[in-house]
Amino acid sequence: MSRIHLGEFEEIVLLTVGVLYDDAYAVAITKEITKQSGRSVNVSAVHKSLYRLEKKGMLDSRLGDPESKRGGKRKRLFSITPFGKKALDESMELRMSLRTQIPELAFKWQMG
Amino acid sequence: MNRKHHIPKIPHAFFKWYCKRERYEELHGDLEEFYYERVAEKGMMKARLYYLWDVICCCQPYAWKKPKSQTNSNIIMFRNYFKTSRRSLMKSPLSSFINIFGLAAVIGVCVYVYSFAQWIYSIDQFHEHKNEVYLATFFADRDGTVKQNGKTPRPLGKMLREDFTHIKKVCRIEDGNVVLKYEDKVFHEKMRYADPEFLEMFTFPLKWGSPSSLADMNSIILSEDMSIKYFGEENPLDRDIQVIFGENNSKTFTIAGVAKAFPDACSIDFDFLINFKNWQVADPSYDMDDWSAFVDATLIQVADPTDLFPIEQEMEKYKILQNKAEDDWAIDSFAFEQLATLYEKGGDIRGDIAGNGFGSNYRAVVIISIITLMMLAMACFNYINIAIVSAAKRLKEIGLRKVVGASRKMVITQFLAENIFITSFALVFGFILGITIIIPWFERILDVDFSFSLLDKNFLIFMVSTLLFTGIASGMYPAFYISKFRVVGILKGSVKFGKKNPLTKVFLTFQLILACILISTAVMFTQNTAYLNDRSWGYNQGAALYAQVSDQSAYERLYAAMTQNPNVLSISGSSHHLGRSNTTTVVDVPDRQYEVQQLSVDANYFETMGVTLIDGRTFIDHHKSDKQAVVVNETLVENMALDKPIGQQFKIDSVDYEVIGVVKDFHLYSFNETIQPTLFKVANRKDYRYLSMKVNNGSEREVYKSLLNKWLALFPEIPFQGGYQEDVWGGYFEEIDTHAVVWNRIAIMAMLLVGLGLYGLVTLNVAGRTREFSIRKVLGAALKNIASNIISQYVILFAIALFIGGPISYFLVEWFFDFVYPYHVPMNSLGVVIAVTSLISLLLLVVSTQMRKVSKSNPVDGLKVE
Repeated sequence: MSRIHLGEFEEIVLLTVGVLYDDAYAVAITKEITKQSGRSVNVSAVHKSLYRLEKKGMLDSRLGDPESKRGGKRKRLFSITPFGKKALDESMELRMSLRTQIPELAFKWQMG
Repeated sequence: MNRKHHIPKIPHAFFKWYCKRERYEELHGDLEEFYYERVAEKGMMKARLYYLWDVICCCQPYAWKKPKSQTNSNIIMFRNYFKTSRRSLMKSPLSSFINIFGLAAVIGVCVYVYSFAQWIYSIDQFHEHKNEVYLATFFADRDGTVKQNGKTPRPLGKMLREDFTHIKKVCRIEDGNVVLKYEDKVFHEKMRYADPEFLEMFTFPLKWGSPSSLADMNSIILSEDMSIKYFGEENPLDRDIQVIFGENNSKTFTIAGVAKAFPDACSIDFDFLINFKNWQVADPSYDMDDWSAFVDATLIQVADPTDLFPIEQEMEKYKILQNKAEDDWAIDSFAFEQLATLYEKGGDIRGDIAGNGFGSNYRAVVIISIITLMMLAMACFNYINIAIVSAAKRLKEIGLRKVVGASRKMVITQFLAENIFITSFALVFGFILGITIIIPWFERILDVDFSFSLLDKNFLIFMVSTLLFTGIASGMYPAFYISKFRVVGILKGSVKFGKKNPLTKVFLTFQLILACILISTAVMFTQNTAYLNDRSWGYNQGAALYAQVSDQSAYERLYAAMTQNPNVLSISGSSHHLGRSNTTTVVDVPDRQYEVQQLSVDANYFETMGVTLIDGRTFIDHHKSDKQAVVVNETLVENMALDKPIGQQFKIDSVDYEVIGVVKDFHLYSFNETIQPTLFKVANRKDYRYLSMKVNNGSEREVYKSLLNKWLALFPEIPFQGGYQEDVWGGYFEEIDTHAVVWNRIAIMAMLLVGLGLYGLVTLNVAGRTREFSIRKVLGAALKNIASNIISQYVILFAIALFIGGPISYFLVEWFFDFVYPYHVPMNSLGVVIAVTSLISLLLLVVSTQMRKVSKSNPVDGLKVE
């Protein structure tokens, strides 16, 4: 198995980190996912995926500046690594290639 | 940030506790950011809840502190303890069985005790307003002692309602006997007359109909049981039912409600409920404003328990009113009793509606708890003894553990953990035993449903504390004892122990004493049952029958019918009847008052019921001259300290009476009640309510049958009430029998526990001395020498245990019986003798099983070890 495994939710988190680019931290990611997909997500689920992705080497992180809205605490900002990009591309590629292989007939439903 | 918006403390502390330090800042920053946003958006409350939820959600491995290296090895060690304890359990199935079974049986009993106590304390706790509803009571001096009474003067309820704005609701209750008739169904029933507030103050939801219908004079509300009795499963609403209050006095009621089944833990309920004012229909002479007469109960409801205080302050004026009306029955003060605790106090309040079942139930809980503790002690001692003796086998293990660096603390932890592991096994078994066997068995005996629930929070706490208590109590000593040995000694083999531990002997002695007590109690109970079955009632209950009649004319018609029966030797009429009813009255002698029981009877009554005269005469002419004569019992003579009872004068209700005769003491009700000072008066003919008959021996059945037939012919409308005099105590003898059965089982369990413990000890002892016995056998010792060798170890111990246990049991049992029964079998030593004999034979039995093993074994095998 040369392919890198990426879970569905992990993939979404990884993508969102990319979307938010310079301001990708847990709270913003949670809100973005909720906004874009409409599903309600608890921040703990995002935390879990972020740390796992970091461990896998797909994300990189650094600490930001303290902010008063966070009770004077710093936030951890994430960014995609080249390996993360590769994982995303491979996953996309796999999906696209599978999608194109579906014969048109499979979508011709007998109506009525 | 604003102080008002500070983070909730407890969840925050929890978060800090589990979160690893290096991630705390970023993670909590996220949570805080969400929190402050939500405070602004959704308000404080919701934000706090969300925060709590987040903290719980975040409690996941990514946020956890890494276990420190020491904790880590602790977990591994615990896993190892678990493994070794499982192995040692499997290696000696016998001791494991004794330990687990013994503990399980006792824990089963604990489960029962818990559910019983829980049931007792839940009685009447389901009422929504239990803290706001109060029963009005009064204190009065009778017989030199001040007693609390549950009845109240009739006008009090009405006056309270008018005089106090604090009192939200008032409800008066009267109980009466009526006959109910629906189509062909005619039964005697208990009717509860209550003010419409009854259903608001008590929480008795209705299955059908509306609670407000009680305000209607023509409505009747049934309990579920009664609805089924008359109408089966049908909905009886709007049907008419006839209530017969007395001859030529009946009224038709419309059924307006049926209550849902009452909870079992309920001391106040009803069969039929009608508006209180119907009491005046039942008894037209009833005077609501008569201070000298009483109503069965007056309840008030206040908005808040603190409102009661000003009311209590004002009660003095009613006392003055009351004492003006009835100066010879003066009361001391009024008091209010909360519904929530009414049942608990019922034993001290005379005639209150909650009844006085609590006293005996409470006693039962105390007694059973003590017994359970004794049994628990026995099971723990078994465990300790076997643990100490079998520790020898595990010496090497402990030595090795210590060599590789286990501290003494760790060895102790190991043994305690092992023990809690075993106890939790026992707990599971015991629990199953408790709910499948023990509780159903007691529920059948007591005929109640404990409504025992597993989900009860307190029960879980109870179980966990039982587990910890038993586990630690039984494991503590072995753990400390075993862990203290020095490694070198163990490995060199110079430590010998287990065989001569003095504590083992102390425990065994203690167990024997406990068993001795329990067995002798059980024997006494069995004896007592036989004794009470034979005890004289003080009159001739055997060849007597009785019937309850509605009035004088009914009495006369039945009298005329029965007097023709050749088997009937004597007939008499009375207003009260032995074992059925009596009234209480106050006797006035100069400067003192006595409360006595009173029965109004005719002249034939003594002859008919076989009450024995010991001095003076009984009534001769109940029409005229004896109207102011009384016959008293011995207890009355003794209580009033009369030197010459015959001719003694006293006043009852300001009328002079003279004592003309003394009868032997008799039991008015069952042996559960002490004999009270009692007197007989002549009954007014128009007040006859009972007809009693003395019949030829052996003809009771026949006469009973003819009585029933005559009754049916004379009064087809009225259900028959009466029967054999022997049956008037109801289930009393069954109850006594139950006591004996329960105690016998307890004794059997105690024997079993001691037996198991002894068996375990002797077996281990013999096993440890296999080599010694083999050598003895090889050198030509006979079996009886070896047997006496083993027995001699226990003889002194048994002698001491039984020497101490015998007398202790004797006095404890005596005290116990005086506490429980007013009348019981005279104390004797048979119980102790049986206990001692059975314990000694138990020892012999255990030793003989081991002797069989020794005699069958080949000495060569015994010597080949190692």
